[in-house]
Amino acid sequence: MNGPLCVEGLGKVYPGFTLGPLGFDLEPGKITGFIGRNGAGKTTTLHAVVGFLRPERGTVRFWGQPLEGHEAELRQRIGFVSAGMRFYQRQSLKRITDTLRPFYDRWDEAAYERYMRRFALDERKTPEKLSNGMQLKYLLCLALSHGAELLLLDEPTSGLDPVSRTEVLETLLTLRDAGCTVLFSTHITSDLEKTADRILYLSRGQLRADCELDAFTAAWRLFRGTAAEVEALPPGLVHGRRRDREGVSALLRREDAAALGLRCEPAGLEDVMVHLEQEADEDDA
Amino acid sequence: MMPNLLRKELRLARHPAALFMPWLSVLCLVPNYPYPVMYFYLTLGVFFICMSGRENNDVGFTLTLPVTRRELVAARFGFVMLLEAFQLLLACAFVALRALVFADRGSNAAGMDANLALIGEGFLFYAAFHLSFFPSYYRDVTRVGVSFVKSSVLLGLMVTAEIVACYAVPFWRDTLDRPDPEHFPAKLVFLGLCALCYALASFASLRVSQRRFARLDLR
Repeated sequence: MNGPLCVEGLGKVYPGFTLGPLGFDLEPGKITGFIGRNGAGKTTTLHAVVGFLRPERGTVRFWGQPLEGHEAELRQRIGFVSAGMRFYQRQSLKRITDTLRPFYDRWDEAAYERYMRRFALDERKTPEKLSNGMQLKYLLCLALSHGAELLLLDEPTSGLDPVSRTEVLETLLTLRDAGCTVLFSTHITSDLEKTADRILYLSRGQLRADCELDAFTAAWRLFRGTAAEVEALPPGLVHGRRRDREGVSALLRREDAAALGLRCEPAGLEDVMVHLEQEADEDDA
Repeated sequence: MMPNLLRKELRLARHPAALFMPWLSVLCLVPNYPYPVMYFYLTLGVFFICMSGRENNDVGFTLTLPVTRRELVAARFGFVMLLEAFQLLLACAFVALRALVFADRGSNAAGMDANLALIGEGFLFYAAFHLSFFPSYYRDVTRVGVSFVKSSVLLGLMVTAEIVACYAVPFWRDTLDRPDPEHFPAKLVFLGLCALCYALASFASLRVSQRRFARLDLR
């Protein structure tokens, strides 16, 4: 209840889309990956958590306190970064930093300079002269420089080249080792496999999984075969099928695969997600 | 956090045109000009601030800072009121200059003379702007144009009414629309009442805007 973030019964209704009710806790000092396909509600959830949206129901508590009434003090301890977030396109990074620095009680100038160097950011440049990836790095740099204990990141590696992505992921791991709690949404599942301790899996506005990453993938097995072999599997045990150049794959629960005596391979995070989404698409159809 | 937010308004959120608009008080020196239009120009500057704020995601970005939604709205009000105060100070200076240099130019044929009552009218125009623009803007910060159209229509009607009043309403024509220092005490009372209206309207507008912004979903 007094963890960095506790969400209970969070719900928001839009025409054609309903989020939640969602409930989850973040474990302190862990990296939690927030996965789901486009339109699953990841950004809506994060925006509701940070107070951009007013949910119709549910509560969001940071260290046991609701954001409302404690916004200023809680945001000292929270960093929120969203890919594609525009900001002051014609002001220099130096001017932006100089203006924002006084807002934070625990601003760490040495950390700021370190991250600016690490991300190869030039303070004289304006955001409009930077690529989306570099803008994102700057936002990360700001979030990392004010001593945030909880980082909420919406697609933080989107638009970054592989080297930059690795840098960002390594930075997150370093922060986690220092005790920082991280929740980051992404649809790049390999990023989560490299960094996440836990995952939240959101599908069509509903939370389908909230568990350790390893436990999540370990619960599934991937069967690969011909279309006929997959068709022959008991329909109730197959959780989504996908075609690739080698044939057809089907996702099964580990115990079902064992009971059928099938020769399966371990399922990766992406395998699980795409098969479950395909199953959900079939159910909708 | 208010000083920091005001600093942010000045350094990041401001639009160059908005800082120029108060200087249009110099229009007081132009003969036969509808002087209250200079107050409208300042509201145009505020529109530019909000418009560039929308393009630069000023509201969303500011909400990631350790501030409350109420403070965010109050800071914008504070910044706009500083601009308005600056314009009125400049207007006082140009009214005084006009009285000294162009005293022989006669009465303004396009509405109120450049005098103390014109400063009072400034408070009335700003009050109307605060009431018509901000509550609408903070209902949906992406629809800046709609809010500005509403306030512009109101201010346009007020400028027209003011010009008509200077010809048709005896108190306006015979007391307020006279060169200083004629009827100075009456103009001073008028100025005080207008300033009071401004304070009350701004307070009411701030409260409504804060309440609406508290419920707003940012997209």
